[in-house]
Amino acid sequence: MTPERFRQLTEAYGASPERWPAGERDAALALVHAGDAQTLAALAEARALDSMLDAHAVAAPSPALARRIVASAPAQPARAFWRRPRIWFSGVGFVGAGAAGVAAGALLASLLAPAPAPGDSAHGGWFEQSYSGTAFGGAPSDWSDQ
Amino acid sequence: MVARKLPRIVALAARMLGDRDEADDVAQEAFLRIWKIAPKWRSGSARFDTWLHRVTLNLCYDRLRRHRETSVSDDWPEQADLAPLPDERLDTAHASAHIRRALATLPARQREALVLQYYQELSNAEAAAAMGVSVEALESLLARARRNLRTALADLANTGDDAPKEHR
Repeated sequence: MTPERFRQLTEAYGASPERWPAGERDAALALVHAGDAQTLAALAEARALDSMLDAHAVAAPSPALARRIVASAPAQPARAFWRRPRIWFSGVGFVGAGAAGVAAGALLASLLAPAPAPGDSAHGGWFEQSYSGTAFGGAPSDWSDQ
Repeated sequence: MVARKLPRIVALAARMLGDRDEADDVAQEAFLRIWKIAPKWRSGSARFDTWLHRVTLNLCYDRLRRHRETSVSDDWPEQADLAPLPDERLDTAHASAHIRRALATLPARQREALVLQYYQELSNAEAAAAMGVSVEALESLLARARRNLRTALADLANTGDDAPKEHR
């Protein structure tokens, strides 16, 4: 980089290296570190103008302005209960989803269980065992002799 | 969103217009535009910031045009912050008013380039994109802006607080 180009940079972008074009920053800094008199003079001029620019302060917006702007925001349409993310990530959501999963699993198991073939002893035994203690099955022991 | 963006919008408009009340009005209008577009916005925050600067600048230009059409005198708008202040704040307020007046003498495009690049701290590429110009054109605008600003500040220093000439 030439001192002329360095002057062009500081005249446009000021004295702060972070404002200089990224592609020329290292070369410009090398020129500064080399201590070239023209370069340092250009840097000092740019810094003087920067410090004047920094003196121009704009007061922070008033809370009243912020309130007016917030009040001007359109109201969000209410979301359906089940579409609210908070519900899904809350304890209620987890418990509800878990209960729904258990119910779906039970339903699926009952639908996928093969129907008992006539004379199938294994299934017959299962059914016999299942119903044996209910009003629909026979008594586990025959008490008629007693 | 309001807390994050409002100070930047107000600062941009205040420096472009040189009038705080108008800057507040512009900020309010800019947010009305944001409310309309925000639900549909899908791009990254950098592009949103550039869009927001463009919207604010367009609103500023509307007002600057209106001023040119209705202006009947070259009087400087006085602001509340120029009221007498305690000594320790007087110099700062005076320097700030000085720069505000010098900025007001710049052609609008030069002022825009300087405000975006220096005060709003947009990158050169972002400032150029917000202005719809190349980075080379931005550099040229910035160089002229700073040169003219230096001259305007010198004029102000030589003539007290009288209004400096408008620069080209």
